[in-house]
Amino acid sequence: MPSPVLILGLGNDILSDDAVGLHIAHEARARLAGEPDIEVRATTEMGLALLDEIAGRKAVVLVDSVQTGRAPPGHLHEFGLGDLTQVLTTSPHFLGVRETLTLGNLLGLPMPRQVRILAIEVNDPFTLGTDLTPAVQQAVTAAVDRVIAQARELTSALEQTGAAVS
Amino acid sequence: MDDAAQQVFNEGQARANAAYQAAKRNLTIDPITRLEGHGKIDIYLDPRGDVERAYLQVPELRGFEVFSLGRPAEDMPQITSRICGVCPTAHHMASTKALDALYQIEPTPAGRKIRELVYHTFMLEDHALHVFFLGGPDFIVGPEAPPAERNILGVIGKVGLEAGKKVIATRRRLRELIAYFGGKVVHPVLGQPGGVSKALKPEDLPRFQELAKDGLEFAEWTLQVFKQLVLGNPDYVKLITSDAYTHKTCYMGLVDAQNKVSFYDGQLRVVDCTGKEVCKFAPAQYRDFVAEHVEPWSYMKFTFLKQRGWQGFVEGPDTSIYSVAPLARLNAADGMATPRAQAAYAEFFQTLGGKPVHHTLANHWARVVEMLYAAERMVELVNDPEITSPEVRRIPTAVPAEGIGVVEAPRGTLFHHYQTDARGLITMANLIVATGNNAARIAMSVEKAAKGLIKGGHVTEGLLNRIEMAFRAYDPCLGCATHTLPGHTPLTVSIFNHHHQLVQQLVQH
Repeated sequence: MPSPVLILGLGNDILSDDAVGLHIAHEARARLAGEPDIEVRATTEMGLALLDEIAGRKAVVLVDSVQTGRAPPGHLHEFGLGDLTQVLTTSPHFLGVRETLTLGNLLGLPMPRQVRILAIEVNDPFTLGTDLTPAVQQAVTAAVDRVIAQARELTSALEQTGAAVS
Repeated sequence: MDDAAQQVFNEGQARANAAYQAAKRNLTIDPITRLEGHGKIDIYLDPRGDVERAYLQVPELRGFEVFSLGRPAEDMPQITSRICGVCPTAHHMASTKALDALYQIEPTPAGRKIRELVYHTFMLEDHALHVFFLGGPDFIVGPEAPPAERNILGVIGKVGLEAGKKVIATRRRLRELIAYFGGKVVHPVLGQPGGVSKALKPEDLPRFQELAKDGLEFAEWTLQVFKQLVLGNPDYVKLITSDAYTHKTCYMGLVDAQNKVSFYDGQLRVVDCTGKEVCKFAPAQYRDFVAEHVEPWSYMKFTFLKQRGWQGFVEGPDTSIYSVAPLARLNAADGMATPRAQAAYAEFFQTLGGKPVHHTLANHWARVVEMLYAAERMVELVNDPEITSPEVRRIPTAVPAEGIGVVEAPRGTLFHHYQTDARGLITMANLIVATGNNAARIAMSVEKAAKGLIKGGHVTEGLLNRIEMAFRAYDPCLGCATHTLPGHTPLTVSIFNHHHQLVQQLVQH
């Protein structure tokens, strides 16, 4: 059985700030060693491939980069699934997080009930390179704190639900 | 290219751009909007409110050459496959073949067959993804369906839940085969100069034989679904063959010794808009046949047939614009090397009025024909006694200098070209990706769609989707540069009047 709670970092590890979700996942993994209920993974895939990652989990925290142009680089955005409808579901041709969940449910796969998305506003996700830009780099530690807090919150919520059921 | 040549090239380019700017009105692209990661189309109207020009802008991937310089050439198959999460296997394979050329070594027969097995598996998987999930909403659900239904869920609603499960499950199994040889699909570590890093164990062969058989059945089923839902609908057929989505250009694709479609290896063949062969060349000679044109309004480099010279964005018998991708491959070849794909190929051309077919939207059907070929090739390879040979690699001994590798990526011809010093460290790296090869024709498609849909300042309902359909048929890799949320490329269309004032902006997320 996979761990009930998954922290999933997304990004491209050689596209400068695009990798920030992966950096955060790596740090979170180091700090969460010894907490078996939370697994941390990092992936450079997207779209339909996310189905394989999140199926079978009870709760997921996705960590990604975002470029809204309306917040300074390093700003931490937090989305719930409700917020995502505006961003993703109007695309007929890309499988967003919400569609992935709906698709999984439709296919009868066990899909997470809780999904949180943390996205770091980035400066440069287009230049090949393995370094984050300074403002984004400085935001990593705070983002890791927040991701871990979110994952622990989800874990205890699950434990309470589990206790109530049993 | 050495410094002196580069300088001359740049000077010529600057002159060409200056002449272009002088001839046309001055058009500036806001540097901020360049970085937003949006697919952006700017449409300029003339005084009558008709379309004068339409420009497609895409974000630029920066710094590839700088990033590559000084790195060991053996790292390139990993680095280039990481550039793009959409077709990592194509970059990996083109890069691996460039290393073969760089080290002047041929892979062992089993090494080559394993590469081909992985590659055809990837082509089948990637094409299936496009047919059902990316292009599917346009045809399986329908271009006029409400936006809320034109998505993958709408596709499943149309083909049925069991069929949806079949697509997802087959795709997963195909990806498992790729992962067996290369580890992660997105970071394959399979190809090495002279062969591959892992042999196929005889005890694992039966499950791959099973998979290949199921893959073929899946491809046949896909063709039936396509025929029933798309070709069975006269409105779709009318749309596919309509003038708005038709361009008479040249076509390029890899062919084998019998001029049959090939994905992994062969010679590049180009036919003109009448189907006559214009040239056929070994990939290593590509610089004698392919050149890149730069326009001041775009980051994209527009490739063209060098020997014909840049003629502009024109179609017809003398055009130097060629296209790549499934339709182009079918047009550039004389047929398919496997029987079922050949039957589907014959039906394709018979239905669409003979060769070559110039309808951009026919790419979707051509993709299904290629799925059959990929699956049949998989069946051939897993039943080849040599596929389980442990002799999967030759160790290179030559001093490296220069290597060029080409494959047919799902989206078209992909060139990798490296030069190294004697230690094998990269001194020059150049890629021409499929979308670059198609860039000129894509630009023409976008402009033609805009011209047909805007008259006298009136914008026809559904403009965005019709324009998007025009370039989605090529399956261009616009989002390949970045994974940044929202993870796909939103489309913004800005319409300017003849005073260059923005009069309307349409956004599709």
